[in-house]
Amino acid sequence: MKIAVKIADVIFKNPLTVASGTFGHAEKYYDFEEVKKLGAIVPKTVTFHPQQGNPPQRIMETPSGMLNAIGIENPGIDGFIQNKLPAFKKIGVPLIISILGHTDDQFLQIVEKLNQQKGISALELNLSCPNLKHKILVAQDPKATYRVVSKVKKISRFPVMAKLAPNVTDITEIALAAETAGADGISLINTFAAMAIDIETRRSVLGNFTGGLSGPAIRPAAVYFVHQVAKKVKVPIIAMGGIMTAHDALEFIIAGATMVAVGTANFVNPRAPLEVLQGIEEYLRAHKIKDIKELIGSLE
Amino acid sequence: MPSLQNTFQVVSQQKLCPKFYRLCIDAPVICQTVKPGQFVHIKVNDQLFPFFRRPFSVYRAQKYVEIFYEVVGPGTAVMARMKKGDPVDVIGPIGRPFSMPDKKIKKIVMVAGGIGVAPFLIFCDALRKKHSDLELILLYGGRSQGHVYDMKEFKRHGCQVHVATNDGSVGKKGYVSGFFPKINIDRKDTFIYTCGPNPMMAAVQTWARKYGVAGEAVCEEVMACALGACLGCSIKTRSGYKTVCYDGPVFDLQEPIF
Repeated sequence: MKIAVKIADVIFKNPLTVASGTFGHAEKYYDFEEVKKLGAIVPKTVTFHPQQGNPPQRIMETPSGMLNAIGIENPGIDGFIQNKLPAFKKIGVPLIISILGHTDDQFLQIVEKLNQQKGISALELNLSCPNLKHKILVAQDPKATYRVVSKVKKISRFPVMAKLAPNVTDITEIALAAETAGADGISLINTFAAMAIDIETRRSVLGNFTGGLSGPAIRPAAVYFVHQVAKKVKVPIIAMGGIMTAHDALEFIIAGATMVAVGTANFVNPRAPLEVLQGIEEYLRAHKIKDIKELIGSLE
Repeated sequence: MPSLQNTFQVVSQQKLCPKFYRLCIDAPVICQTVKPGQFVHIKVNDQLFPFFRRPFSVYRAQKYVEIFYEVVGPGTAVMARMKKGDPVDVIGPIGRPFSMPDKKIKKIVMVAGGIGVAPFLIFCDALRKKHSDLELILLYGGRSQGHVYDMKEFKRHGCQVHVATNDGSVGKKGYVSGFFPKINIDRKDTFIYTCGPNPMMAAVQTWARKYGVAGEAVCEEVMACALGACLGCSIKTRSGYKTVCYDGPVFDLQEPIF
C-alpha cells in the first residue's frame, strides 16, 4: 500500500500534516517518536518583524469549533531561524514554512532569508489571515494573489503553496491566479471571518473585535471549496478545515486533496493527526486501494 | 501527540456545598508527578460540544487526583454528571508550579477567591511535608454561603482560615481584602500566593507591593490546547503577552497586569 504523495519535487511519506498555528513549539511535551510519523510539519506563520499578537480574549469555543484572533504572535523571521527552526529540523519531518509579509517586499525579504537555510521542503504563503489590520486580504484579490505568488516564485529556492481565504465570491478565480503565477500547490482553507458578542456588555468577545472560525463547524464548507478548486486547477491541494477524524480527511482526499492538514483538532485531541493517519491507512486496506493516488479526486 | 494524554477512570463525584464539587480520578501517573500549582486539561465528553477541554488546578493528589470545581458553564455542567467508572480523557500535569518558599520564609499567606482556592490544598500538603513550623494563613472570599464549605482539610494542616462573603451570609461581610489590615506581612519572612478573580488579585498585588512582600499569582484565561501551541490563553504582563498554560499558570505576583 502506497501512501506517499508528491508536491512539486518533494515527496512526503504520507499525506498527513498539521495546519499552521496549531502545532506548538512545546518540545518538552511531545513524544517525538509519534511526531516523526507525520508527513510534514507546518509551524506557525512567521512574519518579517516579531509580532506580539492581539490583546486577550483571543479565543472562544463555538458549537463544533472555535473563534481565534491570535494575531500571528511570532518571533519574526530572524528569531524563528535562530530559535525555532533548529528544533523543528531535528524532528526530521519535511518542513513547510508558513510565511506572511505585510508588504510584497516583506514576503521577498523573508524568502531571501529562508533561501539560505537548509532543511526546508516548501513555503506556504499565508495570504489569508483574517486577524490583522489589512482592509483586504491578498487572497481576496486575484491580481494581488498573482502578483505576490509570482514575485515569490521568482526568487524562492523552495516549492511555494498559496494559502487561500474562504471569504471570497469565487475561490476558483483566486486559485487559478495563484496557479498561473506559478504556485506549486494550493492550501485550502483558512478560517472564516467571524465574531461573537457578549450580550450583557454589548461588546465583542474577542480582544481583536473579530476573529476566524475554525473546527468541524466549517468542514462541509471547506470540502466544497476543495471540490470547486480541484475541478479547476492542476496543482496539488493541501486541504484543511475542521478535520477531526479519518472520515473527515478522506472526504477532502476524495474531493481532490493531495495532502490533508489537521488544525483545530490538535487543540482538543493532540493525537488527532496520528489517529487520522491510521484511519486513512485502515480505509485504504479495507477498500483494497493500493496507492492513495487512486483515491485523490475520485469523487463520482 | 504528547505523552501526557491518557484516559483514566472516575472514582467518585461529591458535592461539597451548593456550588462546589469534587471529582476524584484514578490517575496514579499524575499523582506521582504533579507539582502544586499545576493543572490538568480535561475533555468532559467525546462529543463536539463542549468543544474545548477544560483546565483545572489539581486540588489534591494523594491516592487519586482530586479536582475541585464549580459549575459555571456547559463544560462543568457535563462534568458534574460524571460518575464512578466513567472514562475521562486527561492531559497533564502541565504548567509552571508554585515555587517552594526558601528558608527565611516563616509565614505563608494564601488569598483565594471562590474556586480559586483549588490549587492551595495540594500546596499545603507539600508545604507541611517539608516545613512543619510554617505559619499558614488562608484568606478566603466567596460570593455567598453557597460558595463556602468546611475547609477542614486546610484546618487539619493547622492553617488559619478566614472567610468573607460578599453578602455576609458566612464569615465577614465584604471582600477578602477586608482582612488585609489585620494580617501582618513582612518582606523578611512572608510570602503571598493568590488565585481568584482578577480584581481580587489586583488588590493582593497592591497590598504586597506596599510592604515589599514577594508572592505568586495563579492566572486563568480561556484555554484551548494548554500545550503552548495555540497562544490563545495569553494574558497581559509587564513583559508582554504570556501564555497561562505554558508560561504560567503561576506567575510572579507583580508580573500580570490585571
